[in-house]
Amino acid sequence: MEKQTAIVFPGMGPAAFADVGRFMMVNPFARDLVVIADDVLGYSLVDAFSEAEGDYSEAAQVAFLVNCLACAQWARENLGIEPDVCVGPSFGEKAAVAFAEALPVDEAVRMTAELARCMDDYFSRKHTDIVTHSFVRTPEDKLAEILAELDEQGEWHDISCYIDDGFYMLSLSETRLAWLERRLRAIGGLSLYTMRPPMHSAAFAGLRDEAEWKVLSTLRFANPKLPVVADQDGAILRSSAGIHTMLLDSFVRPLRWPDVVAALERFGVERVCVAGPDSLFGRVGATTRKFAVIPANPRIAMTPRHRRSKAA
Amino acid sequence: MTTVDDLEPFMWDEKFETLLRGYLPFLSPTEPLESDAQLRDLGLDSMGMVELLGNLENTYQVRFLDDALTMDTFQSPSVLWKAVGSLLPSAAG
Repeated sequence: MEKQTAIVFPGMGPAAFADVGRFMMVNPFARDLVVIADDVLGYSLVDAFSEAEGDYSEAAQVAFLVNCLACAQWARENLGIEPDVCVGPSFGEKAAVAFAEALPVDEAVRMTAELARCMDDYFSRKHTDIVTHSFVRTPEDKLAEILAELDEQGEWHDISCYIDDGFYMLSLSETRLAWLERRLRAIGGLSLYTMRPPMHSAAFAGLRDEAEWKVLSTLRFANPKLPVVADQDGAILRSSAGIHTMLLDSFVRPLRWPDVVAALERFGVERVCVAGPDSLFGRVGATTRKFAVIPANPRIAMTPRHRRSKAA
Repeated sequence: MTTVDDLEPFMWDEKFETLLRGYLPFLSPTEPLESDAQLRDLGLDSMGMVELLGNLENTYQVRFLDDALTMDTFQSPSVLWKAVGSLLPSAAG
């Protein structure tokens, strides 16, 4: 089997304007995409992002999409990355869909902005106390004990992301967060981050429906020009229908990164280029144990070439 | 007057400093590692913390549990070193 390269568009984490703002204004790929985004949005993306509050504002989400796509173009031009397959865990799905040309970039921008509004609206009315909490160093059997205790307390919970052995994201009521963190520490677990809005749970079926009729049903998807791996189960998608379903299922099915890694291995992938600001998917053991990882992020793209080669 | 607490941060061993520096991409090898430096500012991120934690446990044969397992533990070299020190067998005596 020929050695294959995958491009991975990371899930969205906090990416401060201070860290990526200059890249958006200086990098030629980013600048071109910002022009497209400004036109679709009807406002200045850079200005809105610089003034936005919170990690997941509409502008922050569109900026993340733009930066990931710009990093992929930069990697193609500067690192010679020609991917055979692509994947985008969680938020990264949107960039993967645009990169694979299942949607034109302007439509991907519109989808991202409208889904951000749709989620804001939904979570302002529903599940107002639910957060998604990430943690590591938590063996499956020990986590099962903690989840059983939540069951005994009559507390709803759902695993939203399976990242690696002992590394999960759990959705639950914010009122149980302090209790959960204490229980995790007691078994040697380390809490990393808490997200609001929450994500990826069967409880959000209403959001899936709203996202379909308000946003996705207004888009015309094409068959992707390179295969896209579904982040829910590792399925290799080659049709527009498959792409559409993946985007919808993302609201209600958990992200299963180990299944994606297994699918990439079966595909013959030996190296992955992680395009965009990433502090997780290119770093986690599930990825680094199996593949050579080539990061392509705004910081590297902004480093002068001679310093990059020295560092290498 | 100098107290034991004042001295403690400077008592970390070479292994600790070498290990910690490996997770601080924004600290050049020639710069000193200040005891109260903010590790996040020096480039220690969440995944770095996870790896560093595992490495400290292997190196010092200790197990971080309970109150030692918060982000605050990774605030500065001195705070982290105190946390490691509190887990070493001699700390129990």
